[in-house]
Amino acid sequence: MLKLNNITKSYGDLKAVDNLSFEVNEGEIFGLLGINGAGKTTTFRVIMGLLDADEGTVTLDGKQIDYEVTDKIGFLTEERSLLLKMTVYDQMMYYGVLKGMSKEKIETELDKWLKRFEIEEYKHRKIKELSKGNQQKIQFIAAVINNPRLLILDEPFAGLDPVNVEMFMSAIKEFKNNGAIIIFSSHRMEHVELFCEKLVVLVKGQAVLKGSLKDIKKEYRKKNIFISGKLDKDELLKIKGVVEVRKKQTDYEVKIEDEKYIDNVFEHIKKMDKITKFVVEEPSLNEIFVSKVGESYEK
Amino acid sequence: MKNKFKYLVGASLKKKIKTKWFAVVNVLLVVLIIGLINIDTIIESFGGDFNEPTNIVVKDETGEMFDLFVSNFKQAQTYLRDPENINIKISDSDKELLIEEIDNEKEIVIYITPDDNNYIKAEIISDSYVDNILYQTITTSINTSKYTIAMAKSNIDVDELQHINTPVEIARNILDETKSSQEETMNFFMGIVFPIFILPFFMLIIFLVQMIGGEINEEKTTRSMEVIISNVSPKVHFISKIVASNLFVFIQSAILLVSAAIGIAVRKATTGSIIDLGMDIDVKNLFEMLMSSDIASKLAYIIPITIVIMLLSFLAYSLLAGVLASMTTSIEDFQQLQTPVMLICMAGYYLAMLAPSFEGSLFIKIVSYIPFISAFISPPLLLLGQIGFVDVGISLGLLVVVIYIMIKYGMKIYKVGILNYSTSKLWTKMLKAVKD
Repeated sequence: MLKLNNITKSYGDLKAVDNLSFEVNEGEIFGLLGINGAGKTTTFRVIMGLLDADEGTVTLDGKQIDYEVTDKIGFLTEERSLLLKMTVYDQMMYYGVLKGMSKEKIETELDKWLKRFEIEEYKHRKIKELSKGNQQKIQFIAAVINNPRLLILDEPFAGLDPVNVEMFMSAIKEFKNNGAIIIFSSHRMEHVELFCEKLVVLVKGQAVLKGSLKDIKKEYRKKNIFISGKLDKDELLKIKGVVEVRKKQTDYEVKIEDEKYIDNVFEHIKKMDKITKFVVEEPSLNEIFVSKVGESYEK
Repeated sequence: MKNKFKYLVGASLKKKIKTKWFAVVNVLLVVLIIGLINIDTIIESFGGDFNEPTNIVVKDETGEMFDLFVSNFKQAQTYLRDPENINIKISDSDKELLIEEIDNEKEIVIYITPDDNNYIKAEIISDSYVDNILYQTITTSINTSKYTIAMAKSNIDVDELQHINTPVEIARNILDETKSSQEETMNFFMGIVFPIFILPFFMLIIFLVQMIGGEINEEKTTRSMEVIISNVSPKVHFISKIVASNLFVFIQSAILLVSAAIGIAVRKATTGSIIDLGMDIDVKNLFEMLMSSDIASKLAYIIPITIVIMLLSFLAYSLLAGVLASMTTSIEDFQQLQTPVMLICMAGYYLAMLAPSFEGSLFIKIVSYIPFISAFISPPLLLLGQIGFVDVGISLGLLVVVIYIMIKYGMKIYKVGILNYSTSKLWTKMLKAVKD
């Protein structure tokens, strides 16, 4: 289990991470979300021991993370941390040996991953000659080549097309199924929603939202109602609790400020003509994220 | 961790050596060094006017100058490149006819006539310019011949004349018993030669600084540093860079030395002598004099001192370059920051060249203590006798102190610097790192 306990890290007067705590268990994918500058990368750097926290502790399986433990960690940074003049093979040897692997093991793993990502022909090519997407694949391989127990992925899907995103997701899920502890950050909420069980949303270094995705959505009182029928947008806006109405292709999306107004909306709608659909849905993570981040900034 | 360190050193070294540019540059260096050592043989093998014999035709209207001129010319020809290739003959032909017969640049006519006031007059006639050394040799020979004739005409007998012509015996008496006259000559000679020997050292320092800076910057700007430092400590990473770059410098020095050895071997095979410069100038004697003088025994301790001070200076420069590189965020920033380092290096080099001309200079002596510069100045000053062991000891001591400070505090700066990507409040951050 990875445990962050009251981590605080400041740069001068700026608190990059403020009293952050969370736990990630084996076989869990944890989402660390936030806009740029929220403190995600600083949190990752503290976990990796690249930065010393001003306060708090980080432990993996109850032990403080040090250079004895880092061989079990895979780290994919937001920027491409590859030595572009090196060949793919040399780069993997470089990072693999630094993770305490034997050269034979590195080559076996490299061949396996190159085959899986369908880029076997690039094994002896210089990294700078590869496309952005293929460079990202190489970076991913560098992070997982040691079959890590803790996998930290900072924006892993940056620069990838949907097919390759699917390829990465499948690989990440495989690590999850094998019991790895995975922390993941992304700006793309649909990706987070797809496979994060737990998450924390950071704003100015503080956790403004924390818990399981299911609970977060449940606790978020605002709901969306999708209605089809002969409707008048202005009439809908007059209903108590309705905050926004959007015309979609076949439906109206009615946003209500609290789930307690669902019955009230339904009472009004059933009086209207030719109603064929009335579906209450939970808001997307993106909506919750934008709402929470916005709220925090207003404060 | 030990294996990771070894791997980092090996990978860093491999990255520098297994490049096309390393091979290309070193092939060029080997060819250039061998070529420079054998430059005279190369020039001669291509041929040119210098291979043509020079014909000096003397029209002697005095009837007594020619033999004297030939004899004096033979004595004065020491500095001529190829005296065997100079033919001197006397002619009875008219001056105008001799001038008409000049058909190339290697023909010289010397027309000597009697003069009532000055014993003789001479005219040197050629188609074009005459080689400066040859011209000086001819004029010296004519003047010496005139001097001999003048003495003879003044009724000085042959024995007396011989005594007059014998060079003055000058006894050199140096009151300081620790110093010798041979050393006096050699000091001057070594003062000129030593800066030539430290030129490769200057070049290697530039290589070293640029190499460390380039590599650390590459890892930093590509953010590979984050992955590397998450697996090995900044201390291990820093030391691996220092060791690798210094090893590289040793390899490069070895290549330079081997190239020089090959060049000398080629020279010996082609000319039969290492120091035959193709002139009658007595370099061999100078070398023998050097070996038999106190300089040889001085070199026995000056060479090891020079090696130690140079090795420590390599270490100091590499530590400084590593710390500076960690603070910069791009190779352009590093290049700007390394300019003062290069200037310090150049100052040391020039002061080493100036040292023989400013004997006893207090300024040069003080500067010779300064770490980073001491390697350039201390050895030549010690050789010239301008400083003693105590001064060298001070230089070495200060160098060791600076290395210790750079290891102790530089490491702290390095740890913070390599993961810092912003130039804002850079110096505050670095000072904070040192205080922490």
